[in-house]
Amino acid sequence: MREFDPVKRRTRLSVALALVPVLALTLGIPLANRVEPRIAGLPFLLAYIVCWIILTPAFLLAVYRNDNRA
Amino acid sequence: MNAIIAIGVIAVVLAATLGLGIFGVRRIKMDAEQYIVGGRSFGALFLLLLLACEIYTSFTFLGAAGWAYGRGAPAFYILCYGTLAYILSYFMLPPIWRLSQRHNFLTGPDFFVHQYDSPRLGALVALVGFIFLIPYATLQLTGVQVLLTIAGYGAINSLAAVAIAFTLIAVFVFGTGLRGAAWASTVKDAMVLIGVVFAGIVLPVRFFGSPAGAIDHVLAAKPHWMTLTGDASANGVVWFVSTVALTALGFYMWPQSLAAVYSAKNEDTLRRNAIALPVYQLMLLLVYFAGFTALLVLPGLKGPAADQSFMLVVKQYYSPWILGFIAAAGCLAGLVPASVQILAAASIVSKNVLSDTFGIAKTSAERTRATRILVLVVAVLAFAFWALARTTLVGLLLIAYNGITQLFPGVALSFAPRRPSAAGVAAGILCGIAALAAFAMTGTSVVGGVNVGVVALAFNAAVAIVTGYAIPALKPRVPTADSSTR
Repeated sequence: MREFDPVKRRTRLSVALALVPVLALTLGIPLANRVEPRIAGLPFLLAYIVCWIILTPAFLLAVYRNDNRA
Repeated sequence: MNAIIAIGVIAVVLAATLGLGIFGVRRIKMDAEQYIVGGRSFGALFLLLLLACEIYTSFTFLGAAGWAYGRGAPAFYILCYGTLAYILSYFMLPPIWRLSQRHNFLTGPDFFVHQYDSPRLGALVALVGFIFLIPYATLQLTGVQVLLTIAGYGAINSLAAVAIAFTLIAVFVFGTGLRGAAWASTVKDAMVLIGVVFAGIVLPVRFFGSPAGAIDHVLAAKPHWMTLTGDASANGVVWFVSTVALTALGFYMWPQSLAAVYSAKNEDTLRRNAIALPVYQLMLLLVYFAGFTALLVLPGLKGPAADQSFMLVVKQYYSPWILGFIAAAGCLAGLVPASVQILAAASIVSKNVLSDTFGIAKTSAERTRATRILVLVVAVLAFAFWALARTTLVGLLLIAYNGITQLFPGVALSFAPRRPSAAGVAAGILCGIAALAAFAMTGTSVVGGVNVGVVALAFNAAVAIVTGYAIPALKPRVPTADSSTR
């Protein structure tokens, strides 16, 4: 019954979208813990973190759009 | 002469900012609600400024550079936790805001009072907020002291500097309320931006051609500086991830942050802020470049002295006018947040402890007087903590966050379909803090690589859940519509 509730499903999509940068910036850190390859002069770890910070607003915007869908 | 120019620049900037803060509030009648939650009418931009005010503090300006200088990659945690906190805030703040509007919350602990129907829990939460705001205020006080000492070119010793910083904080607290602080933070953020661009771009370009050049030189001298150690050591990868998670959960537990949330005009404002604020974090990247540059230009600063890193480079290689401007930006980064924090610490104790629990300071005038006295108490305690602790700015922030995050289980559980009892939540908080105290006394900061704050938080949550559901609430509480998240 709950599985087919459109509001629940939409909330789930929002949470799933928001979890992507959360996982990238926690569990992804050990995988990115390297100096090479350097990106724009930054060591890889720092470049990885910066990339996810730039991507986070895009994910949150997608969540926002999804929440406000008519 | 150098000292007169640098200190003169700082004095002019601080006076102008304070003037703007007072000018910004001149036509608004000040009552408690206006003072603490700004009349609940802050739109997206104004709220952004207020929340950003909490981000760019002495900690960002000096502490992050100090850790980049002193430890390297562990400093990157600061970039991560804010971002995660904003993601969490997107989901968590709108329901908190809805409750705050319906039930007229004034302080952070009011949320607990309402959710658990327990003024005593509110008083406990207020005391926790009060206690752990002290190291946070100490951090700001230390930041201002460091800057004044450097800008004094040896003419001001650290005790004199901290006394001046103490006075300046008091002037800022009494001069501005929340709305004044938001105005003052516009100047602060603009100046910090200029200061950080100077420190993070102009400095590395002068010495190494580019920020990337500075990183090349650091890697040549210290090949492991830009990565985390893989093992369970003090600032290794396990510590990094656990600290990021811990501080992200604690980010909005600060009473002043919750009060800022209540001041939003509507919940959409909060969501749009959560989307935009992560980008604001990127300024930290420049702060790291400044720290790395200082590491190569002026090596050898140990412990808390690392917090002075790039300011000492500026002092040595640039004119006192430039030093004065950057130090002024840094002073504002300490004073504006400090005034918000100290005001929050004082107001939660006067409302949730003195007035709501013990029934003293009931009238508006009495409460205002109690708040003023408490402001001085917080400032004195921060001063005492400064004299005793003598740790790095990041060290101070970690102490503060370990403590304040203990409030998170109570906030999260209050949105559960069945709430635990107030006694259970209180037991969880007390156990978490007792665990932190035990770790502090034994000098333990990591257990198996994990930040002890996370261990204490897990203990807290377990106790809150077990006792919270085993010991029923004294008064059975009918679940209300506002317990749902949406």
